[in-house]
Amino acid sequence: MIPIRRLIASVATAILLTASMIGTARADDIPAPATIGTEQYLGGSFTMDRHLDGFEKPLTSNGDFVLSPARGLVWRTLQPFPGTTILDDHGITRIDDQGNRDELARGDQFRQFVELISAVLAGNWQPLEQRFDITRDTTEQGAWQVILTPKDGSTIQNQISKITATGTDFVENVRLEKPTGDHDAITLSDQALQSLPLPPEFAALLTGTGQ
Amino acid sequence: MALRATLWALCLITMAVFATWQLRGGHTGIDADILSLIGQENAAPNGPQTDIATVRHLLANDGQQAIFMLSHSDRDTLETAATDFAGRIAALDGTQTITLPRHNDNRFADLMALYGPHANSLLSPSDREKLANGDAETLYRRAIQNLYSPATTLSSQSLKQDPFALLPAFLSDLGAKLGTGNDVIARDGQFYLPVMASLSPDLRSSGNDQKWVADANTALQSVTDATPGLSVAKTGQIFFAVAEATRAQSDVQRIAIIATIGILVMIGLVFYSPIPLFGALLVVGSGLLAGLAAVVAIFPAIHAIALVFGATMIGISVDYALHYLVLCSAAGSPTDRLHKIRPGLSLGLLTSVIGFGALSLSPTQLLSQIAVYSIAGLIAAYCSVLFLLPLIPARDVRPSSPIRKLHDGLQAILGKTFAPIRVRLIASAAIIITLALAAFLIPGNNDIRQFGHGNDALISDAGKIADILGLGGSPVFIRIDGDDPQNRLETGKAVRHALTPLIADNRLGGMIGLSDLIPSITRQTENRGLVTTGLYDRFGAALSNQLPVNITAPDMDAGYLVPDEDAAKTLPEITLLHSGGSDIIRLRNATDIDAIRLALADIQNVTLINPPTAISDQFAAYRLWAWIALGSALGVAAILAVLRYGFRTGIFVFAAPAGAILFAVLGGYVFGIDQSFFTTMALFLVFAIGADYVLFLAESRNSPHDDDTRLAVLLSLISSVLAFGLLATSSVPLVRDIGSVIAIGLIGAWFLAFWMTAPTETNHNTQTQNQRGQE
Repeated sequence: MIPIRRLIASVATAILLTASMIGTARADDIPAPATIGTEQYLGGSFTMDRHLDGFEKPLTSNGDFVLSPARGLVWRTLQPFPGTTILDDHGITRIDDQGNRDELARGDQFRQFVELISAVLAGNWQPLEQRFDITRDTTEQGAWQVILTPKDGSTIQNQISKITATGTDFVENVRLEKPTGDHDAITLSDQALQSLPLPPEFAALLTGTGQ
Repeated sequence: MALRATLWALCLITMAVFATWQLRGGHTGIDADILSLIGQENAAPNGPQTDIATVRHLLANDGQQAIFMLSHSDRDTLETAATDFAGRIAALDGTQTITLPRHNDNRFADLMALYGPHANSLLSPSDREKLANGDAETLYRRAIQNLYSPATTLSSQSLKQDPFALLPAFLSDLGAKLGTGNDVIARDGQFYLPVMASLSPDLRSSGNDQKWVADANTALQSVTDATPGLSVAKTGQIFFAVAEATRAQSDVQRIAIIATIGILVMIGLVFYSPIPLFGALLVVGSGLLAGLAAVVAIFPAIHAIALVFGATMIGISVDYALHYLVLCSAAGSPTDRLHKIRPGLSLGLLTSVIGFGALSLSPTQLLSQIAVYSIAGLIAAYCSVLFLLPLIPARDVRPSSPIRKLHDGLQAILGKTFAPIRVRLIASAAIIITLALAAFLIPGNNDIRQFGHGNDALISDAGKIADILGLGGSPVFIRIDGDDPQNRLETGKAVRHALTPLIADNRLGGMIGLSDLIPSITRQTENRGLVTTGLYDRFGAALSNQLPVNITAPDMDAGYLVPDEDAAKTLPEITLLHSGGSDIIRLRNATDIDAIRLALADIQNVTLINPPTAISDQFAAYRLWAWIALGSALGVAAILAVLRYGFRTGIFVFAAPAGAILFAVLGGYVFGIDQSFFTTMALFLVFAIGADYVLFLAESRNSPHDDDTRLAVLLSLISSVLAFGLLATSSVPLVRDIGSVIAIGLIGAWFLAFWMTAPTETNHNTQTQNQRGQE
């Protein structure tokens, strides 16, 4: 029985971990993404193309996001259907366009996820090195590229087969490949580091008062 | 004579070799778990089970698990230490599997393969309620959002099977029902990580449980030493059983050593010679040896309590030796002396065998082991008296012996208590009537929790782990009976419905049953209908427009998910929620049992079972059975006594052990000893030894060796009280109670044996002393 419950949680964790790859790459000998201080947050826009194996066209969405090492991640989809996903130390919560909150997962391990994001954005690769083989390179355009491959025997292999992240000042592109043959291609733009506090609409979402 | 002695000695040597080989070679284990030896008579393979059978089944499963709770203020340090520790535990012989957080994530594919095809038949209660209330649009919006969410389980395959993303909600709800498992738990700035080990089913019976626990403790110590700040706790039946067995073994060794030394000193003070000591040791040793050999030959594991009783064999078998050894050398050749005591010895053995024979018919292996041990041991002691003691040079009791003087003094005192025949008849009738009343009227207390010693550290650890995992409260569970598995699933659903309000107001922490993992076909059909009309008919086309795939309504004739063998392969948890022909619902943190019972009152085929209560009830039933068996043994003894001695003397002879039993019962009651099944069993020993006393005296009455017999009985009393009195010092409450009851009963047996067989007119003490003077 226990493994089922943990399985559910771990699936969510795996997804979160893949999401955390956004903006994580940095190497000692190549340009690195800007570090987000604990009193800062990163804001920007995204476009996500979800390619499903066997389907010709991807599912495309766009919106904006806010990432705070101290508070968590708000992923706000604006097109084609409004909806928000919040990843913080309480777990994963979805909010639909009518403000209905749906808690997908809760638990202490999600606190670890937020800590993981903070560590990665601070240039600390150690948390990822436990689960991934990491290769770093530069692209022809001079951007850095980080490829994360789950280590053999790692349970995350069941959800992720490979992650490729590229960028300059920030992470700009993430390609998340799954064992099913599906992959997500995420493009981040208009990113900027700003000081806390978060904009009120995002702060309200993270505290749950925005519904 | 020499040939028989040689053959018997060879038999003893063979038994010694065999018993050593069985125990040292691990062919026979030592078990201290009371549960392992009760209720097995109820093990029906199919159909509704008794409460105790279900309890046994569940505890047998749970008993194969050991939980270690590691905690540290730093999570990474904790996980590193736990991983190291888990590796050490996994490497131990007897560990089947080890479970750490995130170690079973690869089950996801199997789980989706099982549930995926039935996604439209599986609804979380929340989704079901929304569909039933016509609020399908919320689910549609959720499905749309799921398509574009960064946190999703969406895949090309899941989109085909479950386009409305119903399965994640079902699994999420299932996860909540399962409660806290072995995730890392944070509380008050401390992180806790449970490491769960599944143990081999034969670990205990193979006798390797003590080694496993020792190795696990070593591993625990290593990881604690290597990780400053790490705290550990452990729990599991294996730890309690090994602790109890170790304590019982220690008690047995201590008692056996002290009792043996005490008896040797006593015999030394009587004969001033080591030769009778040798004879007594020979008889006692052969009794212990034969009892042990018989038990290990018949049973795969010996219960620690049977071992304790085995140690008390010293107190019984030495009676036989003393009965022979006290005979003075002037009484004739060894064969002559043997002939003098043989009738009493044989009758004593016969009576004891009848008493313990009633035990051997007992429904519990524990009592059967005690019976086998005792019968084999007594027969062996008897044989040693017949075959070996005659070869030992006779040594007379020294007139200056302090015990002889004590004996004479006691005889003088006893002589003043002797009563006429009529008084004895009245007393006999009173004993019989009072014993019957006492058996009915003195309340029993068979609470299982009072029997064991309880290891404070383990109890503390268990409480801590239960608290962290949210597994406190009463350990109750629910059994659902019924021939049709689908009906049982329906009943499980009704139970879930009835108890949900109690979960909501925290009177019940949670519950999980088979119907949570596999809904009934009726429920699956209803779900399909709701999904079809609520989602596919209304929003199927709209969703199709968003996807490069056609959405088609569920096939109402498709197969259903059922709890069959295939499902159990993916979900081994199914087997833990099933017992015999019944389903099980496990409850967590049940704090209001009355409310649970009330909520279930109107549901048919449902039984709320409290394991401690079920076990205690079983012992209460055994206690009743034991009284019936004891009554039967007394009845047989009465018939034998009347046949042997005539009605009047026969009644006296019978009343002595019966009175000893009454003495033990009333004495135990006065001293506040709980009247349990086990103390009732102790009365069998009181009966057997009490019968020996009175039979020895009755057989030697008016014979030249009458005084020798009286001395032998006193020596027997001293040795028995020494042995059983030492049991009363045991740290195990069960053993302590048994020892106390027997010690009290034997004093009564000794007095009544004299009183009931006393001469009627003359001063017996003067007579016997005169006789001794003439000799």
